[in-house]
Amino acid sequence: MKSALLLILVAAQQAAAPAPEVRFIACPVYRDTDAGRKSGCWLADDPASGGRYDVTSAPTKPDWNRAILVEGRAAAKDAGNPCGGTVLDPVRVSVLDQPCTRFMLAADGYAGRRFALPQRNVRPLYETRTPPSKPFAARTITVPFDFGSSFITYQLSDFYLDQAINYALDVQPARITVTGFAATDHDRVSGQLLVEPSSLAKERTKLVTRSLIMRGIPAGLIRESLTHRSTPSTDPAFDGLATASLRRVEVRIEPLSTPKISSDH
Amino acid sequence: MRKAGACALVAATALLAGSVGLRVTAADPPDRWWQPGEGRVFPTRLDYADPTGVIRVVLDGGPMATQGHPFFTAIGPNGRACVTCHQPADGMSLSAASAARQWERGGPRDSLFAASDGADCPSLPQDARASHSLLIDHGLIRIARPWPPRDLNGKAISPDYKLEVVRDPSGCNLDPKWGLHSADPHISVFRRPRPVANFKYIEAMGFAYDPKAGLPLALDPETGKPVSGNLMADGRVPSLTWQMRDAAGAHLAFARKLDQGDIARILDFERHVYVAQQRDDRGGMLDADGAEGGPEQLRISKPGRLGSQGVPVWSEFAKWEKPDPQARASVSAETLAFRASVARGARIFRDKTFLISDSAGINSPIGFGNPVRNSCVFCHNMSQMGMDVAPGQVDLGTTNRPFADAMPHLPLFRVTCLGKPHPHYGRVILTHDPGYALTTGRCADVGRITLQSMRGLAARAPYFSNGSARDLRGVVDFYDRRYHIGYSEQEKQDLVNLMSAL
Repeated sequence: MKSALLLILVAAQQAAAPAPEVRFIACPVYRDTDAGRKSGCWLADDPASGGRYDVTSAPTKPDWNRAILVEGRAAAKDAGNPCGGTVLDPVRVSVLDQPCTRFMLAADGYAGRRFALPQRNVRPLYETRTPPSKPFAARTITVPFDFGSSFITYQLSDFYLDQAINYALDVQPARITVTGFAATDHDRVSGQLLVEPSSLAKERTKLVTRSLIMRGIPAGLIRESLTHRSTPSTDPAFDGLATASLRRVEVRIEPLSTPKISSDH
Repeated sequence: MRKAGACALVAATALLAGSVGLRVTAADPPDRWWQPGEGRVFPTRLDYADPTGVIRVVLDGGPMATQGHPFFTAIGPNGRACVTCHQPADGMSLSAASAARQWERGGPRDSLFAASDGADCPSLPQDARASHSLLIDHGLIRIARPWPPRDLNGKAISPDYKLEVVRDPSGCNLDPKWGLHSADPHISVFRRPRPVANFKYIEAMGFAYDPKAGLPLALDPETGKPVSGNLMADGRVPSLTWQMRDAAGAHLAFARKLDQGDIARILDFERHVYVAQQRDDRGGMLDADGAEGGPEQLRISKPGRLGSQGVPVWSEFAKWEKPDPQARASVSAETLAFRASVARGARIFRDKTFLISDSAGINSPIGFGNPVRNSCVFCHNMSQMGMDVAPGQVDLGTTNRPFADAMPHLPLFRVTCLGKPHPHYGRVILTHDPGYALTTGRCADVGRITLQSMRGLAARAPYFSNGSARDLRGVVDFYDRRYHIGYSEQEKQDLVNLMSAL
C-alpha cells in the first residue's frame, strides 16, 4: 500500500515538473496559416537536436530576415500541433542582429491559431481603472527585456511598465528605486557566445526612469541603481524562464509615510 | 464659439444643385472657394457637391462670423489665410482639382500660388504655370524642412544618415538659395495638405503609450502634457498650437508670433469642425436606413476608441448589409446595390487579411513580427475615423523605392545610413520623402508617414501624403501591389465605394 502511494506521488511529481528549458539560435520560418488576423505561425529548428519548435506564442515575434534566440519550455500535451512544431509556451524570442534568408512555408493543412488578446495587455485610458486600496504596501514590479535590447516589448514589458507607473502614481508620495540588470555573463548558445554589455543595464534603467517621468512621476523621487551581475528572478513576468529573467529592470515603489494633505474639510 | 446672426446662416448655406435633393436657400450662393478676408459666416452645416455626392462640414456650436477671424484672414504679406489650403468644399483640405480651378480663375495672382510654397521653387518664374505644376497637377505644397533636422527648440539633431539629391525636377533642392547646400540648408519635399477637421479624434489619446516607440506618449514641451502624436505627415509638431505657429510662418509668411488670442480662436474653430461625406449620388443619404455615415455621428461619438475592442471600424454601414423590407421598397435597385457594396467594403476592410512585410512602424521595431497577417484595420484601427489609435507613423512604401509608384515629377533622394542599416531597406534607401526621419534624424524612420483621417475622402483627391494615388482606386491598387493582397475586381470596387462614403 505504502509503495503504491509512493509510486502515485512520484508519478504526480513527474507530471507536475516543468519541461526543461529549451534555448537555441536559429533562422525563423514563417508558416502562412490563416485563421484571421495575427494567426500566422513562427517555427524555428534547434540546430543541436534538429527538433522543430513552434515559437508563435512569444510576445516578440520573429523577423524572417534575422536570426532569433529562442528561450522556452514545451507546452502541455494538449497544446496540440497547430503549426507543425512542438509548441513552446512559455516562450521568449529575441531578434538578433544576424541576417537570415527569409523563408515561408505554405499552411500545408495546419490551422494556425486564432488570435486572442494576451492577458498582459495595457488597457486604454478611457477604461476606468480601479486604484489599489490603502494601506499601500511596498511593491517591486519587474519589467522584462529581450536579449540585447532596451525596447519595451509590446504586450509584455509595457504591461509591467504600466503597472509600475500606475502604482507609483497611485501611492504618491513614494520613494522609487529603478534597478537595471543585463545578462553580462558569457553564455554559449547554439555554438554562439551570447553576452550583453553592462551598459545595457544602464540603458534599460534610464529608459524606465524616463518613462516614469514622462507619465508624471517627479524625477526627484526616483533613484537609479545598477547591478554588476544579474541573477535569475522568479518574478511571474518570466513564466519560470530563468535565463530570460537575467534581463530586467526592477521598479521598487515604497510609499512614504507622510500622509497626503487632504483638501476636503 | 462666437455666434453670428441667423440671416448669415441662410446666406452661407450650401450651393448645392437641386439634383442632390437638399434645399438651396440662397438666391446667389457664394463661390465654393473661400478667399481670405471675405467675411462670410461659417454656418452650422455646410454642404458642397463633390465628385461622388455631397461633402458636409458641421460646425459644432456654429454659425460663426469669419470677419477678422485669424483662420480666415490673411495675417501675413502673401495674402494667404489658413482657409486657403483648408477649403470647406474640399473637406477642409485642398483637392488638386480646386488648385487647378484657381489657376484657371486667377493664375499666379491667387495667393494659393504664393512663391514660398505654392510654387515648385520660389526661384522659378512665378507667372509660368509650369512653375506651379506640383500644386496644380498634384495638389502638392512645398514643405521645406531644415537640414540637418532641428528639434522643437531649434537645436540641430545629428542625423544617423547622409542625404543626397539624386534628381530634382523642382530644382529647389539644388537651388543655391533654397537648396540643401545653401547658406540656410533645407530639404524640399512635396505633400498634400491634411484636413483641418475631426480633431477630436486626431488629438485623442486612446492609450498612454506609443508601442512603436516603446515609450509613453510624447510630451508637449510647452504644456508638459502627453500628445496623440498623430499630427502632420512627419510628426514634426506635438500639438495644434505648434502646428499653427509652424504654418503661420511657413505658409502664411507671418513674421511675428501668433498671439494667444488668435491661437485660442483658431483652436476653438478647429476643434468644432467635423467633416464627412453626407450623400452619395448612387447610395443616397449616408445616414439613411440605419446607417450612421456623415459628420453628425462624428460630432456625437467618443473619440480615440479602438475598433477591435469597441465599435468596429466602419460598422456605421452594418445596417446596409441586410436592409429591412421597408428600406428595400423605398429605394432604387442602384441605391441598394451601392449600399450593399459599401457594407461589403467595410467587411473587407476589417476582415480580409494579407501579409504585411518590411514596413517600418509595423514590422519593426515593435514585435508584431515580419511578416504579420492582418487587415486594413490593423493600422486604421480607430472607430469612426480609421486612424491609428497609437501614434501612426508607418512606412507603407508610398515614398520609398522600390515600393513607391513611379513619380518622375518628384525629387528623389539617396539616404545612406551611417550607423545601423535600415531594418528593411539596408544601408542605402531611395526616397521621394524621408518623412518622419526629417523629424527624428533616424535612418530607421525614412519613409514613415503619419496615418491620416479617412473621412471626407471623396472631396479631396489625390491621396497619400505625396498625392501618388490620383483616385480611390489608385489607393486600393497601391495596397494590392505593395502587399500582394489579390483583391478581386468586386472587392476593389467595394473598397472604393466604402471610402467614397466616408
